[in-house]
Amino acid sequence: MKRTLTLLAWLVAFATLAMLPQLLTIKYYLHLSILALIWVIMAQGQNLIQGYTGYVSIVGAGFMGIGAYSSTLLGIHFHLPTWATIAMAPLVTALFALATGYPSLRVKGHYFAIVTLAFNLIIVIVLVNYKELTNGETGISNIPKPWGGSRDAYFYLVLILAACLTLLAALIARSRVGEILLAIRQNEDLVGSIGIAAWKYKLFAFVTSAMYAGLAGALYAHFQGFINPEIFGVAQSLDAILAVILGGSGTIAGPVIGAFLVVFLPELLRFADSFRLILYGLILVLATIFMPIGIVGICKTLIARLSRKGLRHGA
Amino acid sequence: MFNRVKTGAFAALAMAIATASAFAADKKLTIGVADALTGGGAVYGLPQANAVRMAADEINTAGGIKVGSDTYKIDVIAYDDKANPTEATNAVRKLIDRDGVKYILGFCCSGSTSAVASFIGNEKAVMLVGNAAERSITTKKIPNLVRTRPPADFTGQAAGTFIARKGHKRIAVIGALDVGFYAQYVDSVERELKKVGSEIIAREVFTLRDRDMTPQLTKIRALNPDAILVVGYVESAAFVYRQAVELGMNIPRYGFTSGSEEQFLRVTTSAQMEGVWDLRPTELDLLSASKNGIAYHANYTKKYNASPSPSSPYAYDQLYVLKAAIEAAGTVDDTVAVAKAIRALAIPPQVVMQYQPVDGKMFDVNGQAYTSNGAFQWQKGKWVFVEDLPSDAKAYSQFLSTLN
Repeated sequence: MKRTLTLLAWLVAFATLAMLPQLLTIKYYLHLSILALIWVIMAQGQNLIQGYTGYVSIVGAGFMGIGAYSSTLLGIHFHLPTWATIAMAPLVTALFALATGYPSLRVKGHYFAIVTLAFNLIIVIVLVNYKELTNGETGISNIPKPWGGSRDAYFYLVLILAACLTLLAALIARSRVGEILLAIRQNEDLVGSIGIAAWKYKLFAFVTSAMYAGLAGALYAHFQGFINPEIFGVAQSLDAILAVILGGSGTIAGPVIGAFLVVFLPELLRFADSFRLILYGLILVLATIFMPIGIVGICKTLIARLSRKGLRHGA
Repeated sequence: MFNRVKTGAFAALAMAIATASAFAADKKLTIGVADALTGGGAVYGLPQANAVRMAADEINTAGGIKVGSDTYKIDVIAYDDKANPTEATNAVRKLIDRDGVKYILGFCCSGSTSAVASFIGNEKAVMLVGNAAERSITTKKIPNLVRTRPPADFTGQAAGTFIARKGHKRIAVIGALDVGFYAQYVDSVERELKKVGSEIIAREVFTLRDRDMTPQLTKIRALNPDAILVVGYVESAAFVYRQAVELGMNIPRYGFTSGSEEQFLRVTTSAQMEGVWDLRPTELDLLSASKNGIAYHANYTKKYNASPSPSSPYAYDQLYVLKAAIEAAGTVDDTVAVAKAIRALAIPPQVVMQYQPVDGKMFDVNGQAYTSNGAFQWQKGKWVFVEDLPSDAKAYSQFLSTLN
């Protein structure tokens, strides 16, 4: 019964989102929705390493940058079609993630966070300084946009990809791999003591998370038509972490809600002028302190309480 | 009784007609501003947004924009882009898609401006760029984009000639060299220095958020240069000037910052700034300013209780350019006609900056305007205009046309 209701909720959410291009007369909101769906992909990847495995990675935006630049540069230098470069972006990102993940995952907790933070800084420094390839801080303009830049068509592309990758994240979470990732989060030493090579699973989560980010980066590049290193800085990595925390860490719906929040909230606060970022920061701090289990966690708690009450009344 | 009611009704009707006709004559034209109102770029973006609002008030007070029998009063909506490309895209999308804005002004910073420039060509809108100095913004031949500020390397060339003339042989550069237009400025300076056998012996980098530049300065001091050249945002540059004095570097200091006295004095003292050169476009400076410039400075100071930043008139001038173009095109709705009219404009009489026309027009074929360049020196608490730096707008315009 519970599973049917959950499935129904997902279908309703998907159908509502699918109708957005018809419902939204102001295309600015469609623009934000596309960005939010790209962030859903990013946040689902972040959730695999942060929410399920318990390792807070601060290199998400850096991997997003690798995906964005690899898709763009493969198109420019090898004249490959956009579809092919978007598909190749997560693979290129995976190679970088393998190279960085192996040394990073040798450390735990805060040390892992600091090592990944350093990797994000290195990625940005390389993007800024390797001007012959990346055009430095000036960035790359006129990146080809599929379907002549039609936002409606692009919306459906990112919606389908976000849905598929959310489903994939759910399948991973429910598989044996997902159970081991959760076990690593709870007690990594115990996992090791029963003969499971935890590092393989951690590396899997890290690389998969990077692939999600790489795809999100490629989609971002071909949607906006412009990229420069600033977009992929540490601040954006922190946004990905926040999306997971705000929505609900270690849940499938959480990153979806969190991604929409980190994109829409700063825009909705534009009325506050120069106080906008102060307000945004304040909301985030309060939400993190008072809702550590995220919106999904709170909803689950409320539903559980209500159903318990209902049962008592029924009895 | 009936007569009184009838008279009252007629009076009400007459008032309603009069009010309606008054409203019909005064239409509203909403102008958008996308600029850095918070964060590091706000030292340029906030004064630009203020300048546009001030120009709008002046135009409205003077009767508005006249298009045929209609008069348009200007309404300004300003959104913060934090000098961030994604934020800038969101802000401009909001202006165009939600607020229905057709004319977008501001744009102080290059990264955010380049992001908007990459899609504005497909929009029924006109983009007027202000302080953003990255050269590539006007090399893409976007018909609905113009820029009031000259590219950084146009100024760098003139600055290089000036430094070379001073006879310095070994110059050390410290700056935000990961920012494209600052690097372009330094490259131009270097080309001019090489012509007289001088050289750049160090290129030390700081980021726009750095405040302690003593490690880079210590390294430079060890190289014993004849002079230093500082390129970067006002705050960072002010820290460099201050820390150079604190480290006992008693050598000439040149810069490319465009900061006001007030902005520098928040970080450093007047004594520490004494003798610093700023080699930049001849922006707002009371000693070099025209009548318009002096009036602009006085009005801005009165309105906002702060001095305008030297680069803020780039945005002020944008609105007068737009007014002249709309009146010349005779339409506010046809953005293609207005964009064409902008390219055909002579320099409007109300502008503050001292533009150099190309073929009699304010903007060249690339949509680029040129101001003269000047050497300013800090003397007893003030920037003092010392001399014009020779700059050939036409030759640079031809060079710009060859770039993609």
